[in-house]
Amino acid sequence: MIQLYSVTKRYSRESVAVDDLNLRIDKGEFVYITGASGAGKTTMLRLLYAAERPTRGQILVDKQNISRITSAKIPYLRRKIGVVFQDFKLLQSRTVFENVAFALEAQGKKRFEVSKKVYQVLKEVGLEHRLQRKPLELSGGEQQRIAIARALVVDPLILLADEPSGNLDQRVTLDIMELFKRANARGTTVLLATHDDSLHRRFPRRVITLEQGRLVGDQRPNDEISTD
Amino acid sequence: MLERLRYFILRALRNMRQWPFLCVAAILTMAVALATVATFFLIVVNIEQLASRWTREIQIIAYLQSPPPAAKIPELMKQLESLPEVSSVLYVSPTAAMDHFRQRLGQDQSLLEGISEDLLPASFELGLHDSFRNQQGIEAVISQLEGILQVDDLRYGQQWLERFNNFIRILRFVGIFLGGFLLFATLFIVANTIRLTLYARRDELEIMALVGATMRFIKIPFLLEGAIQGFVGGVLSLVFLAVSFSLVIARGMNAIWLMPTDFNLVFLSASQQLLLVLSGVVLGTLGSLTSLRRFVRI
Ligand SMILES: Nc1ncnc2c1ncn2[C@@H]1O[C@H](COP(=O)(O)OP(=O)(O)OP(=O)(O)O)[C@@H](O)[C@H]1O
Ligand SMILES: [Mg+2]
Repeated sequence: MIQLYSVTKRYSRESVAVDDLNLRIDKGEFVYITGASGAGKTTMLRLLYAAERPTRGQILVDKQNISRITSAKIPYLRRKIGVVFQDFKLLQSRTVFENVAFALEAQGKKRFEVSKKVYQVLKEVGLEHRLQRKPLELSGGEQQRIAIARALVVDPLILLADEPSGNLDQRVTLDIMELFKRANARGTTVLLATHDDSLHRRFPRRVITLEQGRLVGDQRPNDEISTD
Repeated sequence: MLERLRYFILRALRNMRQWPFLCVAAILTMAVALATVATFFLIVVNIEQLASRWTREIQIIAYLQSPPPAAKIPELMKQLESLPEVSSVLYVSPTAAMDHFRQRLGQDQSLLEGISEDLLPASFELGLHDSFRNQQGIEAVISQLEGILQVDDLRYGQQWLERFNNFIRILRFVGIFLGGFLLFATLFIVANTIRLTLYARRDELEIMALVGATMRFIKIPFLLEGAIQGFVGGVLSLVFLAVSFSLVIARGMNAIWLMPTDFNLVFLSASQQLLLVLSGVVLGTLGSLTSLRRFVRI
């Protein structure tokens, strides 16, 4: 599903955010990306949804080489990828329903399809009773669930989450993890960047560790430590 | 397709409702800008109109080498009248010219005593149709005159005509120059206002790009919005112009301008009014387009 071949990203001459990364993630995997602040987690995710282009190396997503993708093709790449952020990135002036519907409308879906699908996915994240509220009237955990609903409503092949529970308490974090697990169980490949070690202790899955942009660990549960 | 269009229009309208202040600012900017350009245009057009009235005085006087026999005069008149440029023909015989001269001398008529009645040459005075009261029209008539009359001398206000032509040329040059400058300033201001409205909505643009909206999908509602605002701005500027124009007329400002009483100020013609509103639409769309280019980058 995702392959990286000696991928390097420099923002400037001195700072190397991602350094010679080789990685393969298969369809349906659930992968944690960990590492200290500034290790390059966010940059790696941004490379995957083509918000950044690699300085060197090749990136394949769903068999498509995206290392030199043209702007015209980026929208079609992003339709396969749902992204969730620490700061939710919701539109404050729109209702919950509109925020989620936005993702489907952007892909040009018909109106009756949109309503049905949005309702379904909001029900799944447990917010079907909040349809007409504005994001700011909701708690942080609820807002993040809306953001996840927006990412999942398009049935993405891949879900990228950049510290989705960074600002949320433990109980809410578990709710959110539950949503990711369910999406993963339906076949969505999940990449979750996080500082939070407690997550993978509770819910062990493959862990990729970055340090100053380099891959320093790639660990599967019930597995000896193996490094490429 | 229709549903797509409906969706885009709805989104454009909703955006405007969501940011009423920005929407009003963009509309007013365009209205003021368009009204300024149009006012300037009206001033130039009216000066030109007024100036073209001075050319009413233009006529050609052809002095003849010798007076034609009285029997030939009606035929000559008919020939001259048949020229397409000529609107009126007047024959002035030597006697009539002398009478005229005498009247002008008034008290000093005694100077003419004992002088022969046919001292002054006979002449034809030719009036011209409106559209031929210019250099080319006059030249066309003169070249045809040679086949009809034995012309001794011609008078048609050469110097005056030259000065008039220069005046019109300068007026047009200044008009185009200032008008172009105004238009450019307008486009700049409008693009900046729209950029402000887009800046307020950069989150929306970013998120749209993030969830896989194509460039076209992101841009169309904003372009539509620009077009709608431009349309409203254009209509507003037209209303403003029409109201102030009728105020000018009602207050009898005509008189202040030292205009001939039978001169009416010219307003925009129907097609020019349409053009004004269309310019608003184009201005709004172009303004959105140039500003969007800066904001929407994937
Ligand atoms: N837009 C940018 N321009 C220049 N340098 C950047 C940019 N974004 C990130 N960097 C640098 O690249 C390196 C990796 O940053 P990145 O955001 O990927 O780290 P991270 O692992 O996500 O950190 P955190 O856990 O704090 O979010 C850092 O040294 C950072 O300063
Ligand atoms: Mg980060």
